[in-house]
Amino acid sequence: MRRPASVVALVVSAAMLHAWPASAQTASPASRFELGVGGLWMGTASFGSKVATETTGSGAVTPLFNTSSELASAFGVEGRIGVRVFRSLVAEAEASYLKPQLRIATSGDTESAAPVTATETVQQFTVGGSALWYLPGSRSHIAPFFMAGVGYLRQLHEQGTLVAAGQYYQFGGGADLLLVDSRRFHTQGVGARVDVRALIRSKGIAFDGGSTTSPAVGVSAFVRF
Amino acid sequence: MKRPLALFAAAALMLGQSAPAFAYLKFGVPVRGQQVTLKWAQTPVRYFVSNTGVPGVTATDLQNAVGRAFATWTAVPTASITYQLAGITSASPGSDDGASVLGFRSRPDLDRVLAQTSFLIDSSTGSLIESDIFFNSTFPWTVAAAGEPGRYDLESIALHEIGHFSGLGHSALGETELISTGGRRVLSAEAVMFPIAYPSGSIAARTLKADDIAGISDIYPDGDFSTADGSLSGSVTKDGQPLFGAHVVAFNPATGSMVASFTLNAQGQFSIGGLSPGPYVVRVEPIDDAEVDSFFDSSRNVDIDFRVTFFDRVVVVPKGGDSGSIAVTVVRK
Repeated sequence: MRRPASVVALVVSAAMLHAWPASAQTASPASRFELGVGGLWMGTASFGSKVATETTGSGAVTPLFNTSSELASAFGVEGRIGVRVFRSLVAEAEASYLKPQLRIATSGDTESAAPVTATETVQQFTVGGSALWYLPGSRSHIAPFFMAGVGYLRQLHEQGTLVAAGQYYQFGGGADLLLVDSRRFHTQGVGARVDVRALIRSKGIAFDGGSTTSPAVGVSAFVRF
Repeated sequence: MKRPLALFAAAALMLGQSAPAFAYLKFGVPVRGQQVTLKWAQTPVRYFVSNTGVPGVTATDLQNAVGRAFATWTAVPTASITYQLAGITSASPGSDDGASVLGFRSRPDLDRVLAQTSFLIDSSTGSLIESDIFFNSTFPWTVAAAGEPGRYDLESIALHEIGHFSGLGHSALGETELISTGGRRVLSAEAVMFPIAYPSGSIAARTLKADDIAGISDIYPDGDFSTADGSLSGSVTKDGQPLFGAHVVAFNPATGSMVASFTLNAQGQFSIGGLSPGPYVVRVEPIDDAEVDSFFDSSRNVDIDFRVTFFDRVVVVPKGGDSGSIAVTVVRK
């Protein structure tokens, strides 16, 4: 079906007002490579509670005190390298580093011990990869995407005396904002990314040996080549 | 060669009161000025069972009940100690004949002692030569599978005494209350080696707890116990001074298990071995749920005037190593 000539003219003139060159009218990466670095916030992951118990003469258990454990929220850094595989699909290798606190709160002591929250600082490293699928038809300087990834998780207890290793999986979405379209210095653009993810950690520091889920938000700057 | 011998009357499982013991968790004996852990030098440890029964318990019942208790200790996967029934004997426990005998004896004078373990020790090495266990026939006994009201479960009491027989001292993982007729009543415990027995009719102490397993594995480590597990150590002070005799509990928030020890020297230092690697919560409490001499020589000055206290840091036990010394401060009640 052919569109009326008046509609075509309106679209063209609107594009000129934005002054984005044709190659930059989409924030989805037409370029081949992308390098990004930024901050990562990871939300709290609960490890649940555990009761210290003793056994009565009947064989029943009676509580001595309660504990509740979590890996607290933390800010860290994240870096990534992306390669465009198809027009709407980018593969990324990524790494992050955070230092969340492991917190174990005690309460309800039968001998009236004052409750405390015992803490230690954990170093968390991740290395992995993600696939980003950019929504087709994105033709503005903002390009929304969905992402899914998997990787290796390494958590190091304080003083480096014990390592807990596992895997992580992440699912989410975000948007790239192309701020500068420049072909100078061998680059093809500079922008920023914001994404929101569900971060699922399997093993690592997980008291029940299972998985924990926490929200995560990444904010980063990128350069395209 | 005649070996130098020393005879010690040792820990007893009490009915609300307790008798002298020498140390926590592991018995220590002085050898040439050094404290060494009391243990059997060779396994399987051979034992005899007395051929005398009591009302409600035949000699065969006795043999079977102690056999089950020995089997429970043998089944600890991280400990290497094993036992072997050498035979049935007409000898009574308590004679220094080089043979370890378990059996009944009537001791109405020990009106709060259900059972007692004694040792014959090679004082040049600290090794056990003989250990006898008597069950006080003054009390009513049972071997019924589900227990029997008004009677003490022979298997449960044997399990505790065999812990001593193997070199374990008492654990303080338990809560008690004073009773009007004197002594204490157990409210709860988390170690078979707690010095006071559950009330008659109970069979709750037929199962070893984490503290018992850590203790026996510490004395007789098997397989990769020493390299797979770790320890937690530190010191306790009050008013800036080292505290002797504080009960220190390591709680594993992943498994819910508790293993404990005491501050055992003038520097207020403690060490808890046999812990699975991982983060721990540390709780320090006074010994106020049993007589102090259930755990220490009565000549030791044990301070129990302080509040139960949680350490404010997570303590991480590494695989095959130690947590590094922590410093816990407690305050007066």
